[in-house]
Amino acid sequence: MALLVAENLSVGYQAQKGYLHAVEGVSFSLDAGKSLGFVGESGCGKTTLGMAVMRLLPSNGSIREGRILFDGEDLLQKTDEEMRQVRWQEIAMIFQAAMNALNPVHRIIDQIAEAILTHTPSLDKEEAYEQVRGLFQLVGLPEDRMRDYPHQYSGGMKQRAIIAMALACKPKLIIADEPTTALDVIVQDQILEETKNLQREFGVSIIYISHDISIVADICHDIGVMYAGQLVEYGAREEVFDNPLHPYTKALLSSYPTLTGEKSQLMPIPGEAPNLINPPFGCRFSDRCTEARVSCRSNPPVWLEITPTHKVSCHQCGKHCEK
Amino acid sequence: MDHGEKTILELDRIVKKYRTKTFLFGARGQEVIALNQISIKVTRGEIFGLVGESGSGKTTAGRLIVRLEQPREGKIYLDGHDITSLKAKASKAYSRRVQMIFQDPYQSLNPQFSVFDTISEPLIIHKIGNTKAKEEAVWQAMKSVGLSPPYDFAHRYPHQLSGGQRQRVAIARAMVLNPDFVVADEPTSMLDASMSAQIFNILLEMRKKLNVSVLFITHSLAAARYLCDRIAVIYRGNVVEVGPGDEVIENPKHPYTKALIDALPQFRNSGDKKRYQTLIRAERRVPEHAGCPFFSRCKRADPVKCSREKPPLMRLGDSHWVACFYAEPGIKTSSGDNA
Repeated sequence: MALLVAENLSVGYQAQKGYLHAVEGVSFSLDAGKSLGFVGESGCGKTTLGMAVMRLLPSNGSIREGRILFDGEDLLQKTDEEMRQVRWQEIAMIFQAAMNALNPVHRIIDQIAEAILTHTPSLDKEEAYEQVRGLFQLVGLPEDRMRDYPHQYSGGMKQRAIIAMALACKPKLIIADEPTTALDVIVQDQILEETKNLQREFGVSIIYISHDISIVADICHDIGVMYAGQLVEYGAREEVFDNPLHPYTKALLSSYPTLTGEKSQLMPIPGEAPNLINPPFGCRFSDRCTEARVSCRSNPPVWLEITPTHKVSCHQCGKHCEK
Repeated sequence: MDHGEKTILELDRIVKKYRTKTFLFGARGQEVIALNQISIKVTRGEIFGLVGESGSGKTTAGRLIVRLEQPREGKIYLDGHDITSLKAKASKAYSRRVQMIFQDPYQSLNPQFSVFDTISEPLIIHKIGNTKAKEEAVWQAMKSVGLSPPYDFAHRYPHQLSGGQRQRVAIARAMVLNPDFVVADEPTSMLDASMSAQIFNILLEMRKKLNVSVLFITHSLAAARYLCDRIAVIYRGNVVEVGPGDEVIENPKHPYTKALIDALPQFRNSGDKKRYQTLIRAERRVPEHAGCPFFSRCKRADPVKCSREKPPLMRLGDSHWVACFYAEPGIKTSSGDNA
């Protein structure tokens, strides 16, 4: 059964120059125990999407349309108090540069214990500490560093502490927004491994948000490629990467340098992403697309199902398939 | 060390140490070794990659080259001339020949300077050309980094530019003096993939057109593979492996280089196991700075030899050097030269 379903979700911000359409008509579904990755460049709305699920949008942001069903319940209908119960208890979030989210004047152990105690007040402090010890083992942190302060930790250790904190209440879903961006490759690799292990052991679902297509490909079962606030391609990892159809997905893949295989010329995507206050009416990628025709600019593309687990939103892909 | 004709820049056994904050009442802070006797030679027209993790000293090396820092020991030569003890005037002349592109284009540009001001400032400082010539040079630099048409961008301020455009301004500023040597310190770590690819291609183009040499500092072996002719892998202030880019990546010899390659997400064949597995799970505790710098994490390490003796850079192939006692020379290399 699907744990999280988003239907036709649109989110925007009231900016000085007008209403900014940050996320438009995004639908996806995530099964329990699976992971879903959102990939796209900065400003494509992937962080907004995560924040919308948590209902943590800043005051000028609003969910304009759509439904978010978590375990069959519509999160958008919940009161703030009900939502507080869901957050951290059911859905936890690891924020971008989360290591800066630790409070510098409290010991790590107390910060994690606080999260546990807030949500399960029946425990006493010793029991909470005991749980923290278990969490430390889980994320691969040495137990003798539990009583340290954040400044005594390296970046990777802080990130692990944050992951431990996210797991503290045994949530069903973790939303991880670029959790490894600030880390070194070896540490990043260790944390990704750890994440995969946790998922296997506890069956927690993960939404993984990243600009790095290779990381998403490494840990996610399903992948959504976002461009200018919209999903443009969505499907199982293998299908999206082995058979990318949307010109943007292809362009994104060919702009990454790789370690193996032919050393080919990187193809940067020309131009800049469109302004989301007045987004183009037709396909939003058409201005930068090498395959764009006149019709791309005049009509928004519709979703096209290639296989039951792979769909794409593009005018030109449709034509290729009909042939 | 000899100064080969083609060598443009040489670091000769550079040592750089920092002292951590001095405590109240004069208790002195600890000394941290940022660079430990590193030697590098960059040939003319070459893009040389310096690859390492944060804290490995790679940025320090870059800052030493542009004289933002002074080394504790060792010498830096440009065209065979020692530049570690230049006087003010010579220093200015040197800075005209050696430029730097910084990591963060959100911080390296003056927010009160328009694009034109930023790019023309080096020309003003070095008193190059009259107004007309300056303008021409700025236009040229802007075009070569793809900020075109230039008049569209010239009067914009940094906040009106995207990250990729800012970094292109930073490159134009470095290139307007027509330098011989450019230090590019992680110029794409703050940018999106499609923007990074643009920056890479601009750097390649620059090298082709102007024959400028580049020290490309990065944490990404994949980026280094794409751009660099030769790569040096640096670990905790020590160069552990140097060689031609393809050679180092396809046939790595040092366990640390292997660990870096293992750590990269491999998105085309995600089911594959790690190839090398050279890291131990828990780090060993080791006495400070004895023996091999990688000893604390190395699976292969000999508990006696590696903990006591620091391996020097040893030659394995034609131009492939490795600082490891247990690097195997025998494997056939991709370029065909057996060590």
